[in-house]
Amino acid sequence: MSNLDNIVLPIIKQVDGSLHPINQVKDYLLNMLAEMGFHEVDGPEIESEEFNFDMLNIKKSHPARQMHDTFYVENKSNLLRTHTSPVQIRSMLKTKPPLAFTSSGKVYRKDDDATHLPMFHQIEGIYIDTNVTFANLKNLIHQILHNLFGKDIEIRFRPSFFPFTEPSAEVDILSENGKWLEILGCGIVNPIVLRNCNIDTEKYSGLAFGLGVERIAMLKYGVNDIRDFYKSNLDFLDQFK
Amino acid sequence: MKFIYQDLLNFLSEKPSIQVLSEKLFQLGHEHEIEGEIFDMELTPNRGDCLSLNGLARDLNIFFGKVEPFKIFKGDIDLLCLNFKNLSPEACPKINFLEIEIEGSVNTYKPYLENYFSLLGARKTNFFTDISNYISYELGQPTHCFDANTINSQLIFENRNCQESFKTLLGSDIKLTSKNCIFSVNNKIISLAGVMGGISTACSAKTKKALVECAFFTPESIIGKSVKYNLNSDAAHKFERGVDIQAQEKVLRRFIEIVRDHTSIKGIKIQSFEDIQAQQDIIPIDVKKINKILGIDLEEKEYLTYLSKLDFGIEKQITVPSYRHDVSSQNDLAEEIARIIGYNNIEGKSLEIIKKVDKSVDNVKKLKNHLIKNGFYEVINNPFTKNKEKESISIDNPLDSNKTCLRTTLKGSLLDNLLYNERRQKDSIKFFEISDVYSKDNQINQEKKLGIIISGRRGHNYLDFSKKLDNAFLNELLNQDFDNPFFVIEEISRAELKTKKRDKIYYTEISIDKIPDLFFKDVDLGLGPMNFIKYQPVSEFPSSARDFSFSIKDFKKYDAVIDHLSHLNDKILKDAFIFDFYENKKLKEIKVGVRLIFQSPSTTLSDVEIQESVNKLLKPIIDLDGISIPGL
Repeated sequence: MSNLDNIVLPIIKQVDGSLHPINQVKDYLLNMLAEMGFHEVDGPEIESEEFNFDMLNIKKSHPARQMHDTFYVENKSNLLRTHTSPVQIRSMLKTKPPLAFTSSGKVYRKDDDATHLPMFHQIEGIYIDTNVTFANLKNLIHQILHNLFGKDIEIRFRPSFFPFTEPSAEVDILSENGKWLEILGCGIVNPIVLRNCNIDTEKYSGLAFGLGVERIAMLKYGVNDIRDFYKSNLDFLDQFK
Repeated sequence: MKFIYQDLLNFLSEKPSIQVLSEKLFQLGHEHEIEGEIFDMELTPNRGDCLSLNGLARDLNIFFGKVEPFKIFKGDIDLLCLNFKNLSPEACPKINFLEIEIEGSVNTYKPYLENYFSLLGARKTNFFTDISNYISYELGQPTHCFDANTINSQLIFENRNCQESFKTLLGSDIKLTSKNCIFSVNNKIISLAGVMGGISTACSAKTKKALVECAFFTPESIIGKSVKYNLNSDAAHKFERGVDIQAQEKVLRRFIEIVRDHTSIKGIKIQSFEDIQAQQDIIPIDVKKINKILGIDLEEKEYLTYLSKLDFGIEKQITVPSYRHDVSSQNDLAEEIARIIGYNNIEGKSLEIIKKVDKSVDNVKKLKNHLIKNGFYEVINNPFTKNKEKESISIDNPLDSNKTCLRTTLKGSLLDNLLYNERRQKDSIKFFEISDVYSKDNQINQEKKLGIIISGRRGHNYLDFSKKLDNAFLNELLNQDFDNPFFVIEEISRAELKTKKRDKIYYTEISIDKIPDLFFKDVDLGLGPMNFIKYQPVSEFPSSARDFSFSIKDFKKYDAVIDHLSHLNDKILKDAFIFDFYENKKLKEIKVGVRLIFQSPSTTLSDVEIQESVNKLLKPIIDLDGISIPGL
């Protein structure tokens, strides 16, 4: 090259921004569940006690309903949803089984420390049909976790307690350092919840599960401090392209 | 709840190792950590029955057999005839009292009692209270010891509205409000029932005669009180989760036995007040239903054997033990069976969910993709603010005074995000947030909004570096049809922002519903495979920029220079880009401006360190003939 006319200008690369890492993980999980047959439903973040607690068999005496755990608004007329389960309740009231829903989005609890935030994201799934069993639930959870963490990941189910499922389980995966990490909660939908949604419990049963999106994102990306997701630091966000 | 490994072994026929015991506790759903020989349990809130050695042993009976290693007093006891009135039997359907008087004082404890305090780090207070605490550990039933000589008039229990102050036995003053379960004497509150006793009637080392109260308080009447009054109460923890309504007399007889084990008893009297007869739950035997819930094939005989080992009564129907408040349905029994079999031993069975065709078009995803392709970063902010507008929804119990309302606009959050990054030397900021925003008039309104904020350079490449993000950029980005505008751009004044920056800030907020369909016509969803990058922690140390201008006169070297500049790499080099490019045809010269940005993850870089890196990075170019770097 000996004259200016032959010069090729430096290439201008298109510099993309990025989707927030929490929404990337959320979309990834929702797409995976959509492939399995789950249909996404949406609902409000401001909820009534009826849909957030009563319909889900969370009794008046349950600690989660206390002012120190739940944000109430407008003189206790409503609350900020503490989970995305009320979205499923609203959807079950509108749709007859068989049904398979996912609900996702922001949820709120009155926490604020290094490992808990007052706002975080959940994805929940529910499947109602004839003859849905705990064995089916196990198979489904294995599929989800194998998709997320690979076929070789070791998975452990532990009995737990959620008012809206019975039996209930928490599921752990074995981390590289040999420690079990709690990854999701699940169970067989409590027939009380199905009856609250006018579903015939003699005919139908269901399974349900819920994941914390931040937890999955922290594990998959190696982010140690949950608060980093919400500082809106460009150096942080720029890494998730 | 903590327990000593050896103490639990005393309740079991077989003597499993710590490891085996731990595995079985996990299988049963009793999460824990182990330090030495101490198990620190994190029991689920529905298993209040397991908050004791006896309770855990009942659950472990299926694996290791259970024994009762403790003695209880079996002799006759005189009736107490206590002047007591229960005004709220719905909150306390059953309550027993033991009056016990001892001779002399107790200076040393038997090993089982001494170990409880020394190994678990529990604090000794006085003989009667120490036994009370130990019995709660052993049998799960809280008791409260009054100094009997301080109860000199009618003792009243009631669940009533209170406005009095009350001094706890730990010395803290509490102002009681709203409804509380209380004991009172002569209209004076002496105990916050089920939570903590008062100092005025507390036992001391001098107490010789104690009145031991042993009750069943309903969880609903106790819940939330210890948190409300900031009292750390083991009793409240247990009552909130439910104790055994049939255990009180046995517990008081155990109390007598422990006292007898340490000193001579001068007198004992006991009395029971039972206002509501407890009913035990009955569930039909239906192993088919259990198999249907779990997806297993269990024989009825095996099913009933399992349940009987968990103390369920098996006759024509299944009777739930009085302490199992968590069991009332077939699904609850299915969980019992699953725990015994082991969740991990139930084989998974595949299911096929019939997919429903979803033809909906996700415009939000399209919008996000469009913005990202134009260099925007998505942010997520929490909705709390202190800025109260007329239409704001207020939080009844905010975390702090800066979070008393829900935001009615995304602007404040996005402006905070922008300023945060400007303080971190960012000179080109393009953020967006999409979020539901809530407001009120006669009802609560929900609106999905897009907020966009921009400031600084359009970009870092040589075409955009000197251009600023502005009105025109936003109009072009969103393809604004000026005959039918769907958004308004606002320039945010820097006057009140206390920032030295001069770049103008532009903001727009759009209701997603108001974006015309036409906008989405040519925008793709942009769904690609997910790439889980390995995140590198963001440096908290300042970055430093160095600009260089290369003058290229020997055009044969041009490609080599550009190629080298495109592949600069050093551990402290954070970013490098060509921000200026100029062909001077008259002087037959090309000028290339390069900015190098340095930052260390662990320290503030010195000029020397940066210069060393610069020399290393640029040496291959400097060494070329026909290239000069004025100023270097």
